[in-house]
Amino acid sequence: MNKITVHCTVNHKPVAVEIDPNKRLLDMLREDLNLTSVKEGCSEGECGACTVIFNGEPVTSCCVLAGQAEGADIITLEGVSVDGKPDVVQQAFMDAGAVQCGFCTPGMILTAEALLAKNPAPTEEEVKQAMSGNLCRCTGYAKIVEAVLLAAERARGGV
Amino acid sequence: MKPFDFYAPTTVDEALELMHKYQDSVSVIAGGTDLVLELNEYKATPAVVIDLKKIKELNYIRVEDGVFRIGAMATHASLAADQAVKEKVRILHDATRQVGSPQIRNLGTIGGNIAQSSVAGDGLAACVTLNADVTLRSVRGTRTMSINDFLAGEGAQKRNILAADELLTEISFPVPDTKHTATAFYKLAKRKSLAISVIGGGMVVTVDDNGVCTHASMRGGALGRYPMHFADCEALLVGKKLSYAAMLETLPIMHDQILEANRSRPWSVFYKKEGAQGVFKKLFADILGQLGIEEVQE
Repeated sequence: MNKITVHCTVNHKPVAVEIDPNKRLLDMLREDLNLTSVKEGCSEGECGACTVIFNGEPVTSCCVLAGQAEGADIITLEGVSVDGKPDVVQQAFMDAGAVQCGFCTPGMILTAEALLAKNPAPTEEEVKQAMSGNLCRCTGYAKIVEAVLLAAERARGGV
Repeated sequence: MKPFDFYAPTTVDEALELMHKYQDSVSVIAGGTDLVLELNEYKATPAVVIDLKKIKELNYIRVEDGVFRIGAMATHASLAADQAVKEKVRILHDATRQVGSPQIRNLGTIGGNIAQSSVAGDGLAACVTLNADVTLRSVRGTRTMSINDFLAGEGAQKRNILAADELLTEISFPVPDTKHTATAFYKLAKRKSLAISVIGGGMVVTVDDNGVCTHASMRGGALGRYPMHFADCEALLVGKKLSYAAMLETLPIMHDQILEANRSRPWSVFYKKEGAQGVFKKLFADILGQLGIEEVQE
């Protein structure tokens, strides 16, 4: 097996990672780039815990090979906060009490970020649709939906 | 994952050369939502993996001379968001917008869905109901055939006709005349999201100016190895004036066909035959509404 070098942008910085091709994007981010906010849940694209923003769209990084990230623009939770402070979505998750054990939270926040970047004023139904690929086994979804709507409202200058 | 060499060609020709060179030892990644999991679980152990994501010429949805042409690498998300597909081909819109989850729809492709020929592939069931054509390419040449012939063939994976060095490149079908033709898809699953189809029903109906049915296509995804073909139900509709009552008359035939086909798995029969009838009642109502023939209240 020949190693490959993956050139991509991770959290706004260009990186080049020399890696075995039989690793997933999830493994590359966690093990090679030490971005441990990316969580491995089900390993089969069913739970959304490993969600990252890949060229502007949320994808499950357990279903992507490292080599497929060549040239991609990738955002993980580490790339969301501004100068070490929580951004509007993170703050809304805290304020709405949308976090319990926290394992699903990075994926939830990234999916919400991708939604709000495209649709700054989503309806509750649109939020539920957008978040439907992220499972939470602790709190239920009411507070998570509430948090995304709150973040949208704050980002638009309300509250 | 077993070690493998990784290639990400940027043109179809380059991919075909690699597939020709490595033959059976190649796995091709379209969206990766099946293959990456199979690799990770050692269910697939290829020596070479070829990623198709960088091949721009395989990612398109366009209408040319009255024909929809869809590149194999068009994602479920891009099909679900396409305005022409939404207006003209409801069956494909409704099938693709419900696949997996938003994340899966951003990765998964229509070509991958068809080439995998999974029992419960919703994009596959929709394309089979439409009787779409598929185009296959290899260094040996290009062939285009109906998706039914594609599924009937025994190729490298035994799931369909695809040879080891052959790539599914395009799906095509005539643009439906929505004045006379309605198409619909209904997914029955255990949840709204992140659920595999228990039944993925597809229906296409064409009527003439007098409302008489001139063509009907009825398929049930996940009811058998391949989307089940309700040919006798179709035959009953053709030539009749289309109505909800006429459509309901097909259900006993469907019931018998499902019963017959699932004799070896009797435990699933009760649920599947009841479920299929519920699915098709939804499809009938959808079709009649689209054609403006009848409002069905349920």
